[in-house]
Amino acid sequence: MLRLAIKNLVQNKARLIVSVGGLGLALTLILVFGAVFDGAKSRLTVYIDKAGADVWVAQDGVETMHMSNSFLPATVTDEVKSVPGVQEAVPILYATDIIQANGKETLSYVFGVPDNAPLGKAFAIVEGASMPGPGEVIIDHSIAASSGLKVGDEVTVLGQMMKIVGLTSDTSSLASSVAIVRFDDFTKARGGDNGTISFVLVKVSAGESAAAVASRISEGVSGVTVQTREQFAAQERKLVMDMSGDIINIMNIAGFLTGFAVLALTVYVATIARRKEYGVLKAIGTRNRLLYLVVLVQALLSVALGLVAGVALTLLLSEVVPRFNESMVLTLSSASLLRVAIVSVVIAGLSALLPARQLAGLEPVAIIRRG
Amino acid sequence: MPNAGLRVSHLTKRFGSGDTEVVAVRDVSLEVAPGEVVLIMGPSGSGKSTLLLMLGGLLKPTEGTITLDGLELSSLSENRLPDIRLHSFGFIFQDFNLLSALNVQDNVAIAAELAGAGRKAAVAKAAALLTELGLGRRLHFSPEKLSGGEKQRVAIARALVNNPALILADEPTANLDSSHGHETMRLLRDIASERGRSVVIVSHDARIKDIADRVLWLEDGQFKRVVEMATDPVCRMSVERELAVTGVRDGETYYFCANGCRDEFLGAKAVPV
Ligand SMILES: Nc1ncnc2c1ncn2[C@@H]1O[C@H](COP(=O)(O)OP(=O)(O)O)[C@@H](O)[C@H]1O
Ligand SMILES: [Mg+2]
Repeated sequence: MLRLAIKNLVQNKARLIVSVGGLGLALTLILVFGAVFDGAKSRLTVYIDKAGADVWVAQDGVETMHMSNSFLPATVTDEVKSVPGVQEAVPILYATDIIQANGKETLSYVFGVPDNAPLGKAFAIVEGASMPGPGEVIIDHSIAASSGLKVGDEVTVLGQMMKIVGLTSDTSSLASSVAIVRFDDFTKARGGDNGTISFVLVKVSAGESAAAVASRISEGVSGVTVQTREQFAAQERKLVMDMSGDIINIMNIAGFLTGFAVLALTVYVATIARRKEYGVLKAIGTRNRLLYLVVLVQALLSVALGLVAGVALTLLLSEVVPRFNESMVLTLSSASLLRVAIVSVVIAGLSALLPARQLAGLEPVAIIRRG
Repeated sequence: MPNAGLRVSHLTKRFGSGDTEVVAVRDVSLEVAPGEVVLIMGPSGSGKSTLLLMLGGLLKPTEGTITLDGLELSSLSENRLPDIRLHSFGFIFQDFNLLSALNVQDNVAIAAELAGAGRKAAVAKAAALLTELGLGRRLHFSPEKLSGGEKQRVAIARALVNNPALILADEPTANLDSSHGHETMRLLRDIASERGRSVVIVSHDARIKDIADRVLWLEDGQFKRVVEMATDPVCRMSVERELAVTGVRDGETYYFCANGCRDEFLGAKAVPV
């Protein structure tokens, strides 16, 4: 019977191509969207991941970088520094800003970092300086490229004209990018020193665990929320997930419905086209459940082929797309693969349902009685 | 073997009720012995298909019983019928009804597999049977590459593969030209004689009379006339017993197309009846 399912499936090549192609595209829709999202998510926390801090100290109650404002008294830095196990403590300033250049605007996360700070400075420099001087800024190179900017050009950051002195890579996503200026320039742009900072970045001493130092800081310093780098990044990702969950769901549902519609239709048509053959099988003594199985196996095989096509296409896109737009990273995670595989099985099961009902109602008598 | 073969008694099938009631088959009784070929003829709407469907366990009779090799079909639960159909019946249809996606050999093997044979055994059985029926060189052909006669032989092989006691054929020659129709008829005859199967054929093809042991005329759901057929031992022509010239030799009655054949057969010892 398995043989019959396979042979039935491949006999009509055009139908198979339509069904596998349509399914493949629908599943690709889900996979690519997830991959774009996962890619953006990994870029989102790039500064948190790579600034070199083991522990992040923020204003009490502030758990994320985006969508919240952290204000700490500048004096907190020294308090943190005095906690046992803290090797370095660096104050930084942070704001979301629109960088303007050549009439183009890019959402950016701007960080103000003290001169020669051991933590928080620019990383992954592809061109120019790694430390901005007065009136200078380091921005992402793909953002620069897409705005037609190069080292030495001027951009508006925090309302000030600043000169690009360095370019970094892997620091942009579809949503935003990272820009780094001097701590003092940031303060000036903000309208002068008001005695506050945004975060304190902490590097723990050798042999100390980040978690232990973090809890020591939160006990020893008042008015702060302390998180390890991983906790902070996780909170950040969760925030974006919560914000974009709806879009993801809509895309998943759209992909699911498209795939379902394509497969349900082709499986249905394929079953109807073989009504008579299934009737003969019933007449000679095939039980209904075996016929369902034939239809289900056909649906599952189509879905498996569609899934392979979808994954292949997604992998291809994740290779090709970043070559054209570096801000667009596609990360095909095993979690999203698993999700799509489950969706595929559900699609196959549902698609086989209607034809199964058709088969159940099929009268073998119809073979002999034809008018 | 009192239980061998097919025994149908007082079979009735009614469709609908009240004003719209149709009695498709009316109190029909029939016995078919192993090795016997029975042809059921009759005008359109006389109940032939209905009768055949009931014999094949595809339609439940309203009244009456059908017994095959001692097993009463009408008393079986719906759930057991598929297995009975697989093992005890072989169906042959007018338009062959082969599975287009499978090759010739797999079309036959699938019936054996459904009946529980392993893949290897099923394929071997199918190949042997098809070779016997002259299709040894067509085993891996797609059904659409075959002539009508070849297709019907594949269908016959599929009907035979599980060694059923009863072969039911619905207009088996209707879609065949006369030479292929003839070939199919001869095959059905051989299946009955050599393999000891009961064969029931529903048809309005009068040529089938030649191979039938008995011809039943169905009209308005009832048998009107039973035509017993016999083969003239001299010229091999098929003759209706009722109308034939008869003669007895060694205590047995023979049927002839004309006096000439009888005289030739009985020679000097002629004892005309
Ligand atoms: N399912 C059914 N419902 C109602 N009437 C039916 C049904 N099947 C057959 N009949 C009637 O029973 C009679 C015999 O039909 P059928 O067995 O098909 O005859 P035949 O095969 O000899 O042409 C016809 O009058 C037909 O209309
Ligand atoms: Mg009919």
